[in-house]
Amino acid sequence: MKVLHQSQFFISYQCDKQRSFFIKFPHKTIKLGFCQLLAFRQQVKEIDLEAHFNGENSHGMEMLMLCNRQHFFVFNTVESIDLKEFITGTFAMLELNSLLTASV
Amino acid sequence: MKDLVRQKLSIHVDVMDLLNKQIEKEAHSSSAYLAMASWCDHNALSNSADFFYEQSAEEREHMMKIFKYINDNGGTAFSPEVGNVNHDFKSLEEIFETALDQEIAITKSIHNLVGKCRKLNDYTTEYFLQWFIQEQMEEEQTMRRALELFDLMGTDGLGLKLLDERIPQIRDKRPE
Ligand SMILES: [Fe+2]
Ligand SMILES: [Fe+2]
Repeated sequence: MKVLHQSQFFISYQCDKQRSFFIKFPHKTIKLGFCQLLAFRQQVKEIDLEAHFNGENSHGMEMLMLCNRQHFFVFNTVESIDLKEFITGTFAMLELNSLLTASV
Repeated sequence: MKDLVRQKLSIHVDVMDLLNKQIEKEAHSSSAYLAMASWCDHNALSNSADFFYEQSAEEREHMMKIFKYINDNGGTAFSPEVGNVNHDFKSLEEIFETALDQEIAITKSIHNLVGKCRKLNDYTTEYFLQWFIQEQMEEEQTMRRALELFDLMGTDGLGLKLLDERIPQIRDKRPE
């Protein structure tokens, strides 16, 4: 298993053998297929950080359900900010890997 | 490390995002044309109404084409939300002008997508989008032909009725 990206709270891994991805959250690690990773990415992209600061999201909480509702997560503002960076970083690493593999 | 992404997905992730945006735009076009059809119906312009009903159906087909393309290639297509559909128009002429503006915006958006494909070497999607480039060219021509009718015929009295009767002819007969 190789680390793709690590942020303050989260780590992503790729497992060649199982052809899947793993994400380590503070309290648990979950396995995702590529489609699930894409779905996760979409949910994170849709998080409206501005709402955390303009009073619309007064509790500053984000709730995400992953992998066909198998997993349920609640993130606070700081984690949500980190999560966005984390997803961007993970996909940047995947793209870099694609470029490297293609050039070999 | 294996390129797992490439194994699953034959289009670039950033291109996939833009394709999902395009789905939203086609869905919005479809709804916008439906609103125009309704206005025409209420104003007893039945040929124009039929024209916009058909336009609306076509836009939905465009949306579905992209939707299937994303999913067939390992991506995830998202069902679009449609907001801000305008139902208020002053005249039939304004409707066709709005329609032309809308088509021009879609053309720009498709061209932008092709530009992105070139930048990211996504030749598969660039090829897929060729059909849309041709389609947009024809859509713009159709709307321009409609606007030419307004210049030629005017809309006073019976003029508008006569103009409505000419609407079925503005669509070009293209082989599918
Ligand atoms: Fe379209
Ligand atoms: Fe169109």
